[in-house]
Amino acid sequence: MKLPSSNINNIKQQVSSGGGAIGGNRYEPKSVLDVRRSPPSPITGKSSEFHSSGVVFPEDQLPNNNNNNNNIEHGMIHQFEEWDSLMKELGLHDDSSKSAAYPLDLPDLPPIHTEANAPATTAMLFHSEFENLNPNLNSALDFMGQDDEDDENNNSNGNGFDFVDELIRIAECFETRSIQLAQVILARLNQRLRAPNGKALQRAAYYFKEALQSLLTGPTRPTQSSSSSEIVHSIKAFKTFSNVSPIPMFSDFTANQAMLEAVDGAMIVHVIDFDIGLGGHWASFMKEIAEKAEVRKVHSPAVRITAVVPEEYETESKLIRDNLWQFARGLKLRFDIEFVSFPTFEYLSFKSIKFIDGEKTAVLLNSTVFHRIGAGFINDLRRISPHVIVCVDGEPLTGAEPSFFRQTVIDGLEFYSTLLESLEAANVGGGGGGSDWMRKIETFVLLPKITAAVEASGRQAPSWREVFGRAGMRAMEMSQFAEFQADCLLRRVQVRGFHVAKRQAEMVLCWHDRPLVSTSAWRF
Amino acid sequence: MYSGIHTISLDGRHGDFSGHLDATGFAGDPCLVLTTDPKPRLRWTSELHERFVDAVTQLGGPDKATPKTILRTMGVKGLTLYHLKSHLQKFRLGKQSCKELTENSKDASCIAESQDTGSSTTSSTRMLPQDSNDGFQVTEALRVQMEVQRRLHEQLEVSSIKVQRRLQLRIEAQGKYLQSILEKACKALNDQAVATAGLEAAREELSELAIKVANDCPPSVIPIPSLPEVAAYLENGFAPSIDSCLTSNNSPVNSPAGQSPQAALLKKRQRAVFSDPSRMDDVWIS
Repeated sequence: MKLPSSNINNIKQQVSSGGGAIGGNRYEPKSVLDVRRSPPSPITGKSSEFHSSGVVFPEDQLPNNNNNNNNIEHGMIHQFEEWDSLMKELGLHDDSSKSAAYPLDLPDLPPIHTEANAPATTAMLFHSEFENLNPNLNSALDFMGQDDEDDENNNSNGNGFDFVDELIRIAECFETRSIQLAQVILARLNQRLRAPNGKALQRAAYYFKEALQSLLTGPTRPTQSSSSSEIVHSIKAFKTFSNVSPIPMFSDFTANQAMLEAVDGAMIVHVIDFDIGLGGHWASFMKEIAEKAEVRKVHSPAVRITAVVPEEYETESKLIRDNLWQFARGLKLRFDIEFVSFPTFEYLSFKSIKFIDGEKTAVLLNSTVFHRIGAGFINDLRRISPHVIVCVDGEPLTGAEPSFFRQTVIDGLEFYSTLLESLEAANVGGGGGGSDWMRKIETFVLLPKITAAVEASGRQAPSWREVFGRAGMRAMEMSQFAEFQADCLLRRVQVRGFHVAKRQAEMVLCWHDRPLVSTSAWRF
Repeated sequence: MYSGIHTISLDGRHGDFSGHLDATGFAGDPCLVLTTDPKPRLRWTSELHERFVDAVTQLGGPDKATPKTILRTMGVKGLTLYHLKSHLQKFRLGKQSCKELTENSKDASCIAESQDTGSSTTSSTRMLPQDSNDGFQVTEALRVQMEVQRRLHEQLEVSSIKVQRRLQLRIEAQGKYLQSILEKACKALNDQAVATAGLEAAREELSELAIKVANDCPPSVIPIPSLPEVAAYLENGFAPSIDSCLTSNNSPVNSPAGQSPQAALLKKRQRAVFSDPSRMDDVWIS
């Protein structure tokens, strides 16, 4: 995508035509350094650099090299590194625990962007661009239209789009390392979105604001162990979430069914779980294994679980270990569970896990894992000969890979407002007294996800489906039992509006035609 | 003989007695028997049907044969395409339902059923029952079809019940698990709260003692409770209930920094004990 090195009008043209990226695809590092190099110190905020229209790059900063096409691959690797470096400097890297204020010394790496669709930055362009960007976003437009009614926290009565716009601007600031400006806009937005009230989109925007805020103000939960009370809260919230929404159970049971079918008949069942959460899905898995053995009047197999967990997951790991042991004992199942930390796994890959001859292995993945540790380990997967690889994808479908951070925010906003809407429906449908439980779910279940997504989205990991395909994996059809089960599950749910769709070999739970979570099974 | 399940794509006319005749021209044909209803319809006698079947077989089966070719092959005067179309359709239907039976049967019982009915309809065109009425064949075909559908439906219901039951078990298992992990987490939280609050109180008391020492009192006068006694006070002061942790919507003891009412109570108690030198003996003795 060639970008002429001239004035702002051309940029706008490019943007409105939906083709060009703002500021092109790759900067000459020099220009970034020269103009932006001076650290955005608290004293001399460099906000004067920026145009009020919201387009961030002043005229003299336009790029003049256009050979970006062949650099996409190269760019992806860089983007991974530079996001890491940004995070490191903001004090959010896993290793560092201090919260640095701002980076004093921005490395001269180009910002993160692609030649994919560039979301507009001004409110006007934003609306018109929506259709072009993503057909799914029309629904987001509908949301925004409704927001005119909710004015308690919204200063701008006439235009409910503002906070979305601001969020996108903040995202853009991250892309361009304009930390100072980001803080300014965030402060303003904090005034406008003081609490998670209002319609789904507004609440989603509030949580995204919180997530972006936490990126700026330093590490909080992501890198520290959760406190005991936080854990209690999140367990309670998750329990409620399971009761009111079919989302967790759909993904759990569909994944379980695929794994159960694949390991049927084994003497030892070994499952490697990259997203154990609270371990609830293993309870039903073990129950099913025990039931089947009883019905067939055979010895039940031994069940081994290896969970790959974040480093700071100690307290939860202990709880899960104790609880799963207790559960297995109750079922008289031979059982073992091991925990491996992500850093160890990254370093040693599958050598960090113990395998036993003759066991049948199943791997349970989650799309967020790829943000965390990349997709390189998939190549090692073949060597351990898993009988099935199940992947649960509870993230918004991204279009072209890699994408702007802005696009991530937009996609995320739409996705989470859909999710929130589906939760709301449970409230209306007699879900119980008060919206307190909903707030708790939002805070303890959804907000951590949003924060993790926002933090990880800078890492332009290629789409896991692509990776699977390149590694030679083929998708397996879900069995009829799994389909029946999903239907049964939805029939039990009081709320109407959920339905299950099949997208190639994946089973997708949708809310009014908008996908929420998909489960698929693969093998080599 | 037959290539497989095919869709009936005749011209919209279903297995109905939709043949219509011209009342005038056919009365004389020895092969054709016309009914004397107000709506004259063709009666498919067994003889006529046999000719039909022969023609169809000659032409390669009901799939390959077309009404036109059958008409020519049969060579029956007065027979029209309309007659043949509807009859051929019913014939094909009869064949199809038998084929579906053998293809879709998953249960042993289903297979047995199909074998029974199969024998009565498949390749039994030559052994058609005496009743030559066209209607019988249709009814038979329909009956068979309905039977098949009923069985499939039953199968689905059975598996649906099975699925529901298994789903119920799984949901219960997960519910139980979540409940129990919640209890464990609450207990851990309470234990931690006890420990930290107790530590806090003890720490405070120790620092107060230190101050006293620093100020005026000679060391020997200060009652220093032994460690087991401190522990005893701690245990007596606390009887946290896990229930409150589970049911309360407010956060239980938040952090070491925030004092719970229980911790405050303990502190008061201890202070009362420690700050009253006259009770020193009690402390030592108990």
